[in-house]
This record gives sequence, C-alpha cells and structure tokens, in this order.
Amino acid sequence: MLQAENVLFTIVLIGYFAATILNFAFVILKKEKIAKAALILQTAILVLHTAVLVLRGLGAKRWPMTNQYEFAVSFAWALCLVSLIFIRKYKFPVLGAFATPLILLMIGYASMQSREVRELMPSLRSSWLAFHVSTAIIGYGAFGVAFVLSLIFLFRDRMREDGFWGQHVPQPEKLDMISYRSVSLGMLFLTLTILTGAIWAEQAWGSYWSWDPKETWSLVTWIIYAIYLHLRLRRGWKGKAAAWFAVIGFICVIFTYIGVNTFLPGIHSYA
Amino acid sequence: MKKIGRFLSSMPFAIGLLVLLAAICAVSSTITQGLSYEAYAAQYGERTAGLILALRLDDAFHSWWFIGLSAVLCLNLLCCNLIRLPSLLRRSKAFSDAQRWFASRGGEAEAHGGDPGKLFKALGMPEAKETTTPEGRKALFSARHRAGLWGAWVCHLGILLLILGFALGQMTGQQFTLYALPGQTKPLGDTGLQVTVNDFRAELREDGSAEQFTADLTVTDPAADTTENGTVSVNAPATLYGYKFFQNSYGWGADVRITKDGEPLQTEALCAGDFLPVKDKTELVIYFQAFYPDYIMIEGSGPSTQSMLPRNPAYLYQVYYLKQLLGMNVLEGSEKLTIDEYAVTFENPRNYTLLAVKRDHFTWLVLIGGVITLMGLVLAFYLRPAAVCAVQEEDGRWRVYAQSVKGGILFRENFEKAAKDSGFELTGE
Repeated sequence: MLQAENVLFTIVLIGYFAATILNFAFVILKKEKIAKAALILQTAILVLHTAVLVLRGLGAKRWPMTNQYEFAVSFAWALCLVSLIFIRKYKFPVLGAFATPLILLMIGYASMQSREVRELMPSLRSSWLAFHVSTAIIGYGAFGVAFVLSLIFLFRDRMREDGFWGQHVPQPEKLDMISYRSVSLGMLFLTLTILTGAIWAEQAWGSYWSWDPKETWSLVTWIIYAIYLHLRLRRGWKGKAAAWFAVIGFICVIFTYIGVNTFLPGIHSYA
Repeated sequence: MKKIGRFLSSMPFAIGLLVLLAAICAVSSTITQGLSYEAYAAQYGERTAGLILALRLDDAFHSWWFIGLSAVLCLNLLCCNLIRLPSLLRRSKAFSDAQRWFASRGGEAEAHGGDPGKLFKALGMPEAKETTTPEGRKALFSARHRAGLWGAWVCHLGILLLILGFALGQMTGQQFTLYALPGQTKPLGDTGLQVTVNDFRAELREDGSAEQFTADLTVTDPAADTTENGTVSVNAPATLYGYKFFQNSYGWGADVRITKDGEPLQTEALCAGDFLPVKDKTELVIYFQAFYPDYIMIEGSGPSTQSMLPRNPAYLYQVYYLKQLLGMNVLEGSEKLTIDEYAVTFENPRNYTLLAVKRDHFTWLVLIGGVITLMGLVLAFYLRPAAVCAVQEEDGRWRVYAQSVKGGILFRENFEKAAKDSGFELTGE
C-alpha cells in the first residue's frame, strides 16, 4: 500500500511540475488550448493526488494528516481542489498559472519530509483529529487560493495595458470579489479548526485554550483575515490594501504550519 | 457619552485594536513564557530580561494589559452591536418591503422588456409577490436571504460570548493538578475531597511508545461519607463530584526503603520529583530526582534512557542535610545508598498518573459563543441578501430592478446574464 503511495506520489510531483510548465506556456504563448490542457492535467493529477491520500490512510490505518509530510500532501491537495473549483466556477484559467507553482512548492516541501509511518501518541487518538485537521486543510487551501488571487490583483495593477491580462484576467473589482469569496471560505474553516481544536484540547488536556504557539498563531492568522474583512467594508481600503492583507494572512498561515513547528515548539510539535 | 460610544464602535478603532492584538500575540509567542529572570538573562541578555519582566511579557497572556486589551475588544464589540442594532432592525425590515423599492426606484442593475417570471427563476429568487406601485402600476417583488444582513452582528455577539465565557470560567473556575501512584490517596486541593488512584495502566506498544494511559479513580467526600468511581484515559475524561478529571500525563515512581543499622525504618511510595525526610532525622532528606527505565550513561550528556520499557532501571537521587546538598548519583537496580547508619534502596518502579482536574461553570457559554460565531460567519458569507422588483410600464413591458447587499459585481453579472436569457434589454446598453 505504502509502496504504491510512493510511486503515485512521484507521479503526482511530476504531474504538478508539468502543469506548472503548461500554465507558464499559456501565459507566455497566450493560447487558450494550452490553458485547457493544463486544466485537464491538473484535474487528472487531483484524482491521483486523492489516491495518494487514500493509499496513505489505508497503509497507515488512520487519517493521513498527522505529521508534516501528510499535512503538506493534504495541504497541496486542498490547494489544487479549491483552485480547480474557483477556475471552473469563475471561468478563470489564469488562476491555474499562479496556483500550480504554489501547489508544486507545497508538494515539493512534502517530498523533503520523512514518509515514515509512526504510531499516534494517545492524545492524537481521537475522533476530533479528522474534523480538526481536515477543516484546517480546507481553510488553508482556500487562503492559498485567496493569496494567489491577491497576487494576481496586485500584479494586474501593473499590467493594465497588456491585452492578454485584459482578456484573460477579470476586472479588479471582480478579482477582489473572488478573493473575498475565497477568504470567506478559509475564514469559516479556520474558525471551525480553532473551535474543534479547542473542544478537543478540552477533552484531552482539560484546557480548551493554553496559548500554545500553534494556537496563538492560528489566532494571529484569524485576526489578520478579520482585519481583511473589515478593511473591505471601508471605502478606499477595498482592493489593494485588502489584497496586501490577504498576502500577509497567507504568510501567517505558512508560519503557523511550518514556522511554528521549526522555531516555536509546543504541544503541537508533532504537527 | 454618545461620542465615546461611537469612537469605541468605529471601524478604525476596531482595526487598530485587531492590529495591536495580532502584533502582541505574535511577539509574545516568540518569548518562552514563565521563565525566571536568570533564564531570560541567559537567553536574551540582562537588559532585555529586565524589560521582559517589567512589561510582564513572561506571562503576557495573563498580564493586566492583555486582559485590559481584551476587555477593550469586548467593549468595542458590544458598542458596535448596540449602536448598529436599531439601524439593522430598520434595514432588515425595509429590505423585504416592496414599497421602499418603489420609492427609491433603483438598484444595482436594471433591465426592461422581458419575462420577469423567467428572470426571478433564473436568479433563484423565491416566488414573487404581486403588488402595486404608488402610481397604481402592477408590480412583482421578491427578496431573499434577509438574515444575511445579520451576519456580522451575530458573529460579533458570538465572539463576545466566547470571550465572556472564557473570562468567567477563568475567574470562577477551579483547576488542580494531581499526581499519584496506584494505591495512593491524595487531597484534591482545598475541596475536602480525597482522590485514590486504584490502578494506572500505561499501555505500551512493542517499540515502547505509548498507546493509551488509563487510571481507575475513587473520589471520596469524607464529610458526606460518599464515594464516586470513574475511569479516565487520554481523550476520555470522567466527571466525579462535579469535577472533570483528565488523564494529562504520566511519570515514574518507586518504593523507597530506608533501613537503620539493618533494621527497617520506613518505606514510602515516591514519584520522581518528590522529597522524603528520614523519619527519625528529618533534617536528612532524600530527593528522588528522576527514573530511567532503560538506563544508559551518555558521555557529555549524562544519564538517559534507551526506551520506556523497564529493562535496566536506575534512579537519580540527591541527598540534603540541613538543606545543604550532600551529593547526588545514580543507583542502578537494587544498589544501595549508605549514609552513616542509614541505607536507602529504590525498588518496584511503576508509573504514576498526572491528572488535571477542573471545574468550569462557563464552558457551555464558550461553546454557545463558538456556535453563534460560526452561525454569524455562515450568515455573513453565504446568505447574500438580494431583492428583485419588476414594474409594468405604461406600454405593458416590464422593467426590473435588482440589488444585492454582498453580491457585488458577481451578482450584477448574474443578473445581466439572467436578464438577457429572459428577454430583457439591459438599461444603458
């Protein structure tokens, strides 16, 4: 099971690399056929990526989201899924050109992590694990897409005269709105993550909030996105300022996931 | 007073407060909490250590200024909700009022000439109500998701309840930490209750890693002469006498046997970290510092254990006389420590349980706050209030107006597409 997962993982890694190249080719050559091919490829990889997670779960006999490797694979999966949903829903293939490099980076990070299957410590053996981590994965995926959309927003600002951008990238107002929808999804799931984590911590340790670095940084991330949501309501701050906050928010997401484990160990050190 | 209220509920104030809170949380998370001046001085230098202690950054999240800031946040949320409530009620009432639309006769998007029934359906609007305009013209009106107007308000209320529940729980709740070896009975703080650990099982896997910890407890109330029994394991707390018991951690303990001139003097069950004064010479104290189940001495690093299985037990001890350290060493297996006429041996190593005990009367409020916050977010993000109104013009053609509170350009695009599909011509095209 785990051997098959290893083989599929390599195929997925190569697949995302190919999708990234195709997406770049679309931006450079401006041929819609390439964008369609990239979209089909990305969808096919998502199917294989899902199989990687299923095989990992079957091989490890638990939810595959308990260490850095498994979370990175799941994070990349959520990025791919949410970006595909947004590409299709808003008919916005250029999103893929910006999203696939981010997915490739995340899956590349996963490839550098230990793939050893370890038994879970007692506190992780809870049915809350699946809720808590899967909501985090979806939330992070949505924030990743919002980050990409905000980058496009900020980039488009400089590329206004280019015909390609005018033709394939929505107007700033629409970009801002799509980014807001993505942040909304992320915010809802991050709130669920924090709440399910608190309920779980109360059950495991008798304290639903202990200011552990991971908890604190989840709260910092939540506050940053709350600022984003408030900024959008103020005239003059909507757009560029909000986009910058979506970028800062995602930096916080990455710090919460990787930085906290590296620099600020706490009760979430295993994650 | 009104001015203060308006300032406290203003958006710039809220944003400034959130930025400040995020910055404080971020900075505080990088400083290890609860260390001594010496530990901070060793880590950051004496000047920074002094600053950390002066600013209470060593216990930032319980400091007066952080609690004050949280109180200001609550005040901000409260003022915001109170001030917005009347206008929100008015807006909510007016949103589904067709006459208001006829009075304003306008919306974000406008079209004329098609089939309004088809348009309403294409936009997913509820069935339109027939009405008449003040000028007596036939009109159709439909509004949806009015509850979405309340999203931010409900979310603020949820956060307010959540913080309030947390604060009340901290202020009125009780928390204890209790550790005991199987068979030991210990008092539960100042509650008058006695906790006996009947059994403690550390289920280990073949590789020595822990799978589950389970403790069987009996809690006795000597005053009422009653007892309650329960079993706790990780992720499965038990409630006894209204206190919630959590299997928090574990450690090692052993029986310490002391003989004097070869005659048994005392035997006590000690947990690592406990002190034992010698019965007939209390100024002589044995400190059981640590236990190594699978002992190994690592050069340059000191005593350690290779696994959690008791294959080669060893005990690290210290001896104090009149509070002065006489010496420390490691006793392997059944080795004996001799101090004048006294001989000390450690035996029967076993696990002790570390329990967290808690009574929080406001957990329900935190939970309700959390659920309301989530409901608020769903209302705010996924219920996008929209209203569509169709008025029959003098020539019999229909003119439609639409407005969405949060749909923005995406709603306008939807409306335009649906209008075109329903045979309307967009106004301005």
